[in-house]
Amino acid sequence: MAASERPPETRAQEDEATRRATGGARTLAATMPRLILEARRVAATIIHGLHGRRRAGTGENFWQFRRFVSGEPASNVDWRRSARDDHLYVREHEWEAAHTVWIWPDRSASMLFASPLVWETKLDRALVVAFALAEVLVEGGERVGLPGLMRPSASRNIIEKLAETIVHDPTERASLPPTFAPSPLSEVVVLSDLWSPIDDVRRTLAQLSATGANGHVIQIVDPAEESFPYSGRIEFREPEGGGMITAGRAEMWRTDYAARVARHRAEIRAETERLGWSFVIHRTDRPAAELLLALHARMGAGNGTGTSRWQALTQAGGAA
Amino acid sequence: MIAGLPLGFASPLILLGLVSLPVLWWLLRLVPPRPRRIFFPPTRLLFDIAPKEETPSRTPWWLTLLRLTLAALVIIAAAGPQWNPPIATAQASAPLALLIDDGWAAAAAWDIRMRTAEELIARAEADGRGVAIIPLSETGRDISLETPGAARVRLRQIKPQPHTVERVEALPALARFIAGTPTIDMLWLSDGVDVARGKDFVDGLAKTLDKRIVTVVEGGVPPAHALVAADNAAGGLTVKVLRARTDGGEEGLVRALDQKGLPLGEAPFAFKGSERETEAKFDLPVEIRNDIARLEVAAERSSGVVQLLDKRWRRRTVGVVTGATADTAQPLLASTFYLSRALNPFADVRLAERAAPAEAVKQFLDQNLPMLILADVGNVAGDARDRLAKWIEDGGVLVRFAGPRLAAGDDDLIPVQLRRGGRILGGSLSWEQPQQLASFSRESPFAGMPVPNDVTVTRQVLAEPDSGLTERTWATLADGTPLVTAARRGKGLIILFHVSADTRWSDLPLSGTFVEMLKRIVALSGTNALAESTTDARATRETIPPNRVLDGFGAFTAPPSTARPVPANYSGRATADHPPGFYGPPEGLLAVNTLHPADRLNPIDYAPLSTRMEVYRLGEPKDLRGPIFLAALVLLLIDALVVLWLAGGVNRLMSRRRVAAGALLIGALGLGLSGAQPASAQTAAPPAQTAPAPNPAADDFALKTTLETRLAYIVTGDAEVDGISKSGLQGLTLFLAQRTALEAGEPIGLDPARDELAFFPLIYWPIVPGAARPTPAALSKIDAYMKQGGTVLFDTRDAVMAPPGPGGESRSPGMLALREILSALDIPELEPVPRDHVLTKTFFLLKDFPGRFTSGQLWVEATPAPDEDEQARPARAGDGVSSILITSNDLAGAWAQRPDGQAMLPLVPGEPRQREYAYRAGVNIVMYTLTGNYKADQVHIPALLERLGQ
Repeated sequence: MAASERPPETRAQEDEATRRATGGARTLAATMPRLILEARRVAATIIHGLHGRRRAGTGENFWQFRRFVSGEPASNVDWRRSARDDHLYVREHEWEAAHTVWIWPDRSASMLFASPLVWETKLDRALVVAFALAEVLVEGGERVGLPGLMRPSASRNIIEKLAETIVHDPTERASLPPTFAPSPLSEVVVLSDLWSPIDDVRRTLAQLSATGANGHVIQIVDPAEESFPYSGRIEFREPEGGGMITAGRAEMWRTDYAARVARHRAEIRAETERLGWSFVIHRTDRPAAELLLALHARMGAGNGTGTSRWQALTQAGGAA
Repeated sequence: MIAGLPLGFASPLILLGLVSLPVLWWLLRLVPPRPRRIFFPPTRLLFDIAPKEETPSRTPWWLTLLRLTLAALVIIAAAGPQWNPPIATAQASAPLALLIDDGWAAAAAWDIRMRTAEELIARAEADGRGVAIIPLSETGRDISLETPGAARVRLRQIKPQPHTVERVEALPALARFIAGTPTIDMLWLSDGVDVARGKDFVDGLAKTLDKRIVTVVEGGVPPAHALVAADNAAGGLTVKVLRARTDGGEEGLVRALDQKGLPLGEAPFAFKGSERETEAKFDLPVEIRNDIARLEVAAERSSGVVQLLDKRWRRRTVGVVTGATADTAQPLLASTFYLSRALNPFADVRLAERAAPAEAVKQFLDQNLPMLILADVGNVAGDARDRLAKWIEDGGVLVRFAGPRLAAGDDDLIPVQLRRGGRILGGSLSWEQPQQLASFSRESPFAGMPVPNDVTVTRQVLAEPDSGLTERTWATLADGTPLVTAARRGKGLIILFHVSADTRWSDLPLSGTFVEMLKRIVALSGTNALAESTTDARATRETIPPNRVLDGFGAFTAPPSTARPVPANYSGRATADHPPGFYGPPEGLLAVNTLHPADRLNPIDYAPLSTRMEVYRLGEPKDLRGPIFLAALVLLLIDALVVLWLAGGVNRLMSRRRVAAGALLIGALGLGLSGAQPASAQTAAPPAQTAPAPNPAADDFALKTTLETRLAYIVTGDAEVDGISKSGLQGLTLFLAQRTALEAGEPIGLDPARDELAFFPLIYWPIVPGAARPTPAALSKIDAYMKQGGTVLFDTRDAVMAPPGPGGESRSPGMLALREILSALDIPELEPVPRDHVLTKTFFLLKDFPGRFTSGQLWVEATPAPDEDEQARPARAGDGVSSILITSNDLAGAWAQRPDGQAMLPLVPGEPRQREYAYRAGVNIVMYTLTGNYKADQVHIPALLERLGQ
C-alpha cells in the first residue's frame, strides 16, 4: 500500500506515539524483572538462547548428575562420575534455549481513539507495552520480531529498532497481523482493540496458530468503549470503513451495547481457549505496567497456578 | 383596546402573523435536532443493536411550545403593543369638542381627567385640529372653537365645582355650538354619576347630536362616592355612603373630624355586590359624637364625600322645669342644680327661670326641644298640657321627677298609676330602713350599667300594682318597688323617677349612676323628628352669609364672590349660588351639604346616544415592545441552553472541565442583560447598613480591664505627671495587696476621649494647670461615668502652692484648672470630708488624708445633714458613693515607688509615718469606692447582734 493513502495527520499522530513510546517503554521495562519465557516443550530448539533455563536440557553448562534410568541410551552415562561408586550417573546440562516472540501492535486508525475519560490513545498504550515487552524479552535473551515488518532480533537496542521500523513502515495499518507462519515454538503477542468482525479475528488466529505457535491476545480498549458514557442524539462513525449509525438517545443503547461487547469478547475468548492461547483485556485507564505484569506472568509461568507463577517470577527476578 | 385591558397595538395587522404559528408548529415538530458526531471504534457492534432501538426523531412538545411562544412574542412585539394606549377619537380630522364633567363627582380623579384632556389636546395640536372645551358647569358662556394652545390654557383654569352640576343647563349653549359647527368630533369626559336629571341631558344631547358618535370616557378611575343623610341617632352617628357604579364589593373608611379638623373617629363601610348604598356607623360616646362637624370618606377628595354637620346634629337641648319656686332661692340645693350638673357633659340645659311650669313648658315647646324634664311638677295646666301631650306623641321625651307636688298632684302624664288620694297618707312612704337600688331591667336603656351600692332611697312615690308595671319598670329598689318607670306614648316617651331630683328623698342625684342614667335617656331623645329651628318663623326671612365653603375637592376655602347668603332654614342641595359649606356666624353655623339627604347616585344611561366607550388611562402610554422583545430574547437563550442540553453539550462541557468557562459565559450574559435594564434599576435600595463590626481592639481593652480589678488614672500628656501617677498607683496596688484582700491588676492609663471608662471603680485624675481642657465629648463621657456610679479622684497636687489665708486652697493654679474642667460637668454640692464620713472608716480609722502634702483637704459630695431625730451614728454616708473626690495633697506622689521599692518623691513636712498614712488614705478611698456605704452599715452590727440575743 502506498503511504500516500494514509492521511498525513494520522501518520504524524502515529509517529508521535512511537516517539513517546520509546521513552515510556524503556522506563517501564526498567521496572520489570527479567522475563524468561517458559519452555513448554522439553524438546530441543533449533535456535539456542544465551541463557540457561535453570533446568536440565541441552546446553553446554553442567547442571546436575542424576541416576541412570534403565532404557536410556548408554552413551548418556557419565562414566567418570559413575566410576566413583556403584551407581550409574548421567550428566545433565542446563537447558539453554532462545524463543522467538512475535509482537503485533495494532496501529490502525481505530487505535487512535481516546475518550475524554483517559489521556492516552489506545495506540500509545499498545506501543508502550509492545516496546517494553520487547525490551524485557531481549534482556531475557529472547528474540523479538514484528510480523511482516521486522525479522526476529535480539539486538540490545531493540526499542530503537522497533521504533524505526514502525516509523518507516509505508504500508497501510491493518488491525490484525498479516498472514505469516510463525515457527511452532515461537510465541505471538497480539495487541489490538479487536473490534474487527469476529470472523476476521477467528481467521487470523487460526492462521497464526496453524503451525502450533503459542500466543497471547490482548484487547486494549478505551474505558468509553466499555462503559458507553454517551447520551443524547449522537451519530457514531467508524474510524475505519466509514460506517455510521445515529442513536436518538444514546443512553438507551448502553445495556444492549454492553451485552454486545460481552458477546464479542466471549467469542474471542472461546476462540483463544480453543487454541490454547490466552486472552487479556486491558483498559487504557489502567496503568500500562499492569498489562506488562500480566503478560510477564503468563509468558513466564505457563500452566501453573497463579501463586506458583509468581514464585517463579520472583525466583527469576532474584536470579537476575 | 382589548376587552377591558388597557392594551393597544400600533399596527394590529401584524398580529395576523399569529395565523402562521400552526405551520411553524408543524415544521418544528418535524425537524429533529442535529445529532452530535462521534468517532467510535466499536461502531460496528452498534450496527447489530441498531434495529432494536427506536430513535426519537421529534422535538419534545415543550420545546415546541417554547419556540412557538417565542415566535408569538416576536410577532406581538412587532405589532407595537402599548399599555395604556392613548384614547382614540372617532374621527381624525374634525374639530374636537371636549365635554367635561366638572362637578364634585369628577373631583375624585381630577388629575387623571385633566391629563386625559391634555393628551387629547396635544394630539389635536399634532393633527392641527381645533378644540372646544365645554365644562358642563359653565352654562352662560357661548362655546367656540379655539386653537389647542388656547384650549390648554382654558383647560387649566377649570376647577371642579363643589356642587352638583346640572348638565341639562348646558344643553342650549351646546345646541347652538353644534348648529354652528356641523362636523365635530365629540368627546365626553364623564364622571359617570347621575344625581337627578342625567337622563334629560342624555336625551337632549342625543337629539342635538343627531346620530353623531360621541366618545364617552368613563371608568378606569376609582369611582366617586358621596355621603348623605348623616343621622346622629341614639345608638350612634350613621351616615349613608353612596356610589353610582355597581361593580363588585368595595370597602372604605369614613372619618369624623371636629370643627378644627382634628380626627375624632373612623367608621368602616363596605359595599357588597351591586349595592349602591351602604351605611357607616360611628359608635362613639354621645359627647364626642356631638363634636363631629365634618364627615368624609378617607382617601377621597371631593366635596361629595364631605358631610358637614351643624348644631342640628349636635347636643340635645334639654329643658328643665321645676315646680318649686323656692328652688331658685337656694340654687345649690335645688333640683335644677343637680340636673344641670348631671346633664351638662352631654346636653345643653335650658332652665325655666322664674316662670310658672305651664308657661315654661309652653316656652320650651315653642323652641321645639327634644327632651323636657319636669322636676316635681305636680300638674301642667291648660293648653300647655295638651301641647305637651301632642309633643310627646310626636316624639318628645318627657322625664319627670317625683316630689311632694307630684305626689299631691293629679296627672296622667306619668307612665304608671301612682298611689295617691286619701288611702296613702301624704302619698309617700317612709321606711325605718332606707332602701337600696337593686337592679336595672334588662329591656331598659339602663341595661348593663353596674348597680351602685351607695344609693339609698328614703322616700318615694309608689306605683299602683298593675299587670303592666313590670314591663314599664326600668329600675327597681331592693324591695321590688320601682324606682324608674317609663312608657311610650306615640313616638315619644314618658319616664318617671319615683324620687325627687334633689337629695331630700334619696342620694341618687349625688351618684355617678344618676349621670349615666340621664345620659342614656338623653341619647334616646336623638331621634327627634323635627329640627329645632325649622318652625322658627323668624328664620325663614333671615338670610345668613357663607362663612367657610368647600371647594370641589372637599377642602374648606374662603367663600367665592359668587356665593350668596342662604335662608336660615335652608336645607336643600348646594348650588352654584350656595356652595356647600358652613354659613352664618361661628356660634351658630348652618351646614349646607353638597347633596340632599334623599339624593341617590345613579349611573348615567348612555343608551340614547350612539357612543364609543373608552376608559381613563391611569398611566402614561407605555411601549411594551422592549419588555416583550426582552422576553423573547430570554426564551431564545433558554432554547439555546435546552438544545445544548439535549445534544449532550453540557456533558461535553463538564467532561472538558470547561464548566468554569461556561459559567463565566452565562454570568457574562446575565451581566449584559442586567446592564441593559433601565437606569432606574441601578438606583435600587443601597445595600443595607451592616451592623457595626465588632471592634477587636475595644474587645481586647474590655477583656483586659475587666478580668481584673484595676486602678486607673487619666493620662494628662505630661510625661512626668503620668509617670508619677502610674508608679503611685502601682505603689498603692502593692500596698492594697499587702494589707487588704484586694489584689488589683496593673494600673492603667486612660484617655477619657477614647477609652471606655465604665470598667473602673476609681479613676485618679492629676490636674496639670497648663494642660488642655478635655474635649466636650470626653467631658460628657466623664459626666456619664460619674452619673453611673463611677468615682473620679481629682488631685491638684499643689497644696503647698496655695496662697496663704482662708480659702487660699481654692485659688491655687491647679484648683483654677480643675474648676474650668468641672464647669462643664454636673457637679453636686461638695464638702470637706466630715469626721463621721464613712471614708474615714472604710478600712483604717483616719482623721485626715495626707499625701505628699498634708495641708490640703479631701472634698467629697456633701452628705445629707444628720437628722435631728436620729441618734448620733458613728459613721454617715449617703446612699451611694461620692462620684467625685477632690484633693490637693498629691496622693500619687506619696504612693509612688521606684522599681527598687524606694519612695520616689520626698514628703513635704516629712512627718513620721506620713507616707504610711498616705497609703492608708489611698486604701480607704479605694475601699470606699468598692464597698460604698457598707461600712456605715457595719457599725450597726453590735447593735444588731445584741438585738438578736447574742
